[in-house]
Amino acid sequence: MDEKHSCVTLSVQPSRGLVDEKFVILVQNSFPSSLLTIYAHHQCEDGNSWHAFAHYTSDATGAVNVSEDCSIGGTYSGVEAMGLLWSLQPVPGSKPGLRMRKKNVQAPMVVTISVYSSHLTEGFGDQVPLAGVEVERWYMAPGVQRIPVTEDGLTATLFLPSGPGPFPGLLDLWGGGGQLVEYRAALLASHGIASMALDYLTCKYTMETGKIVEQDYFEMAYKFLQKHPKVLGSRIAMLGLSLGTSVILKIAVHSQIMKLRCAVCVSGSHVQPMDGFLKEILDYFSKNSGNTHFTKDNEVVWRDLLLPIPTDLSLKVDVGKLQCPLMLVVGEDDQNWCAYESAMDMKGMMERAGNSHLLTLLSYPNAGHLIEPPYMPHARVSLFREIQSRQKLMVLWGGQTLEHSRAQEDAWRKLLVFLRKNLYSGVKSGSSSLSNL
Amino acid sequence: MFRTHVSVKAIGRLSGFIQMDPDFTAWRKLAGLQRLTGKVRWKSNTRPAPVLTAAPVRALVDEQVSIRGHFLPLHCPVTLHARMHSDEGDLWESFAHYNADERGTFSLTRDPSVGGSYLGCEPMGLFWSMQPAPGGREGLRLRKKSVESPYTVHVSLLEGHVSTSEGQRSELAAVTIERWYIAPGVKRIEINQNGLVGTLFIPPGPGPFPAMLDLWGMGGGLQEYRSSLLASKGYVSFSLAYFGHKDLPGPPNCINVGDSYFKAAFLLLQDHPQVVSDRVGIIGLSFGCYLTLRIPTKTGVKPSCLVGINGPVGCTVSLLNSDGRTKNFDSSQEFWNFDDEGCVIFKDASLPANIPPDNFLKVEKLDCPLMYIVGEDDLSTASIENADLIEERLRSAGKSHLLTRLSYPGAGHLIEPPYSPSARTSMWSVKPKKLITMWGGHPALHAAAQEDAWKKILDYLEKNLRS
Repeated sequence: MDEKHSCVTLSVQPSRGLVDEKFVILVQNSFPSSLLTIYAHHQCEDGNSWHAFAHYTSDATGAVNVSEDCSIGGTYSGVEAMGLLWSLQPVPGSKPGLRMRKKNVQAPMVVTISVYSSHLTEGFGDQVPLAGVEVERWYMAPGVQRIPVTEDGLTATLFLPSGPGPFPGLLDLWGGGGQLVEYRAALLASHGIASMALDYLTCKYTMETGKIVEQDYFEMAYKFLQKHPKVLGSRIAMLGLSLGTSVILKIAVHSQIMKLRCAVCVSGSHVQPMDGFLKEILDYFSKNSGNTHFTKDNEVVWRDLLLPIPTDLSLKVDVGKLQCPLMLVVGEDDQNWCAYESAMDMKGMMERAGNSHLLTLLSYPNAGHLIEPPYMPHARVSLFREIQSRQKLMVLWGGQTLEHSRAQEDAWRKLLVFLRKNLYSGVKSGSSSLSNL
Repeated sequence: MFRTHVSVKAIGRLSGFIQMDPDFTAWRKLAGLQRLTGKVRWKSNTRPAPVLTAAPVRALVDEQVSIRGHFLPLHCPVTLHARMHSDEGDLWESFAHYNADERGTFSLTRDPSVGGSYLGCEPMGLFWSMQPAPGGREGLRLRKKSVESPYTVHVSLLEGHVSTSEGQRSELAAVTIERWYIAPGVKRIEINQNGLVGTLFIPPGPGPFPAMLDLWGMGGGLQEYRSSLLASKGYVSFSLAYFGHKDLPGPPNCINVGDSYFKAAFLLLQDHPQVVSDRVGIIGLSFGCYLTLRIPTKTGVKPSCLVGINGPVGCTVSLLNSDGRTKNFDSSQEFWNFDDEGCVIFKDASLPANIPPDNFLKVEKLDCPLMYIVGEDDLSTASIENADLIEERLRSAGKSHLLTRLSYPGAGHLIEPPYSPSARTSMWSVKPKKLITMWGGHPALHAAAQEDAWKKILDYLEKNLRS
């Protein structure tokens, strides 16, 4: 056994971090100027394997610092501290259309990080690495409570930060795929916001009656938060992606009952029939389904369903009437919704109405539809089960991995600042920052 | 009632603080004024509660945590109350008093505690100054039994300066911190083969790794927590039971294993496929330190380095010898001393003057580096005297270069991994009668010693086992 090899050390700090925390990967004691491959492997809950790798050359002391050194090849290149996570891709031979989404947020995501000699692009399983460590990525900080909510007819999960509160509250909505998706709400609670993930498409009510929920379902959710002893009823925000945006914009402008402190809308649109609510939005999509396009690989492109942006005010939310701060996050390569065009239209409406000081617009070139918490792998395409037809389709979301990943990181950081500023405003904070982000 | 523990450097910093800050009187008056005019209105319907943060919230026990408070009224007095349950269910807690600055924040890495369980700027004070909560069992010592789960420490922010849980002020904010004894990916393997009883910890990765044999003292049983930490640093580590364990042979209160047992343990490591066979060391505390010195001098194995903490070079307790005779621990009772409260002090039993010359280990036969760590307030072992003896014998043999001696004023017997509460006394035995023993050590000084010693031990292992 070559003794020097047993001396190579690999460390990742922190080895147990939150999913949105950065880590530092350090290789030490290798031969100076040696070719090394750093390799990440993760097996997700559904059994699929993902991997990422990058090629480095160690420095004169035999060290590599992923946060400072340049990858010259692999699943990412350049100086990318978190590249081994966001560039994770399904291992060769995997089914097409996979998307990584954590179901059980109470257990961490475990990633094995190893360092190999020379620049490898395959056959990692056949070679013995020089060193390897395990890293845990958590969605819940210690002390965060996960509380399933079924009262008042709701299908939801509430995540409460540690401590007596009261905490500002947040309703977290996902998009047209339905299901109860908890990981973003869990992460927000880890940052001090009492967050409730709400299933509004495949909730118990809809599954039992076959009917789409009305606005009162969201009012129930809002009131549940408002009267919760640990939630500050006067400071409730809403955060939504995709179809969730449609719901939030309608509520933010028109609801008499739900008074939002602020709203964050990701990859969505204000275009919807003003008569009616969710069912009518879904019907509107169906009506326009003729605008669906297909790529040469038969991937579904839905971005034209709402285009062109109507001028008719009965077909879009009048954001000129908005009275709370709004953050819009859009990817300019969104192939699923016309989020960018909608955002431009909304900006124009608000400028003309004189309330554009309420708008924060984050627009990312080459980012796609699924702008999620940072460092998670980007899915340009994935298998999507359409809610109404129950069909499984290969849907094109868009985005180029590098720019999309940068967008996720930037958007998340700004989203947290936006939420904190609006949910904690009126409290002196000085220049102290609340977290390591 | 609370006990305040002050380290020498903390006193210096505190007095410097008082001298340097002309507004000291002013903010004390302000805090007093707040108390006079009635409490600050904390609970509000219109603004969120103050926030307490910690980073990292999940860390190994030997890693520092940075705790901060935000969104507080300016200059207001607050208390941090940390509490956790041991594996046995006992409640441990600490209190510390801080004053928010002119921006309504405080930080434990920057600000001094002005009262409570510790004083001065002590980033990890809340952890090492913990004491058993009032009303709990007596004679407790905090030792992690289950190393695969973390300690969960709940830290509350309370208004004003309080030191007990009675008349508990309302909790303003809280943060929960996990303290882990094991890094992700470390494998834990129970060993019960060929008579050997212990637990093996293997770091993640392909290896091979340097290794450490880990030995504790006459408290007996099987203590895994130092091994799991060493494995988390990349060393295969073997916690070995040799006394007071149900799977070991023979009558209780005797050591029923001999030199061949310890040799076999060392060889298990050396021969392990994931261990670099010429990079195996031994670490031992108390009687474990005696064994650390005995194994290389009596069994012929060749460790790469040794770390001995507060242990004797010779003793009256014996291992199972070739005739099958052992002496039990109580046989050295003639040297036991008792203080006014009936606590037993074992120290004299290991004074070189009280030990038959034949019982001394021939430390001059050592051929590998030895780090010997002394707690100068050790009341359980005569560490200073034994260290002197080792130093003298090695010097006579021309082997002074092998010895690294660390000596800590105010530190007691139980120099363990850092940032955990230390026990000046704890329950030694309940049968035939209840006996509490004195370990020695003053909390702040002992905590500083543990922090420094652990760092030096890790550097020492790095130097001797890895480079």
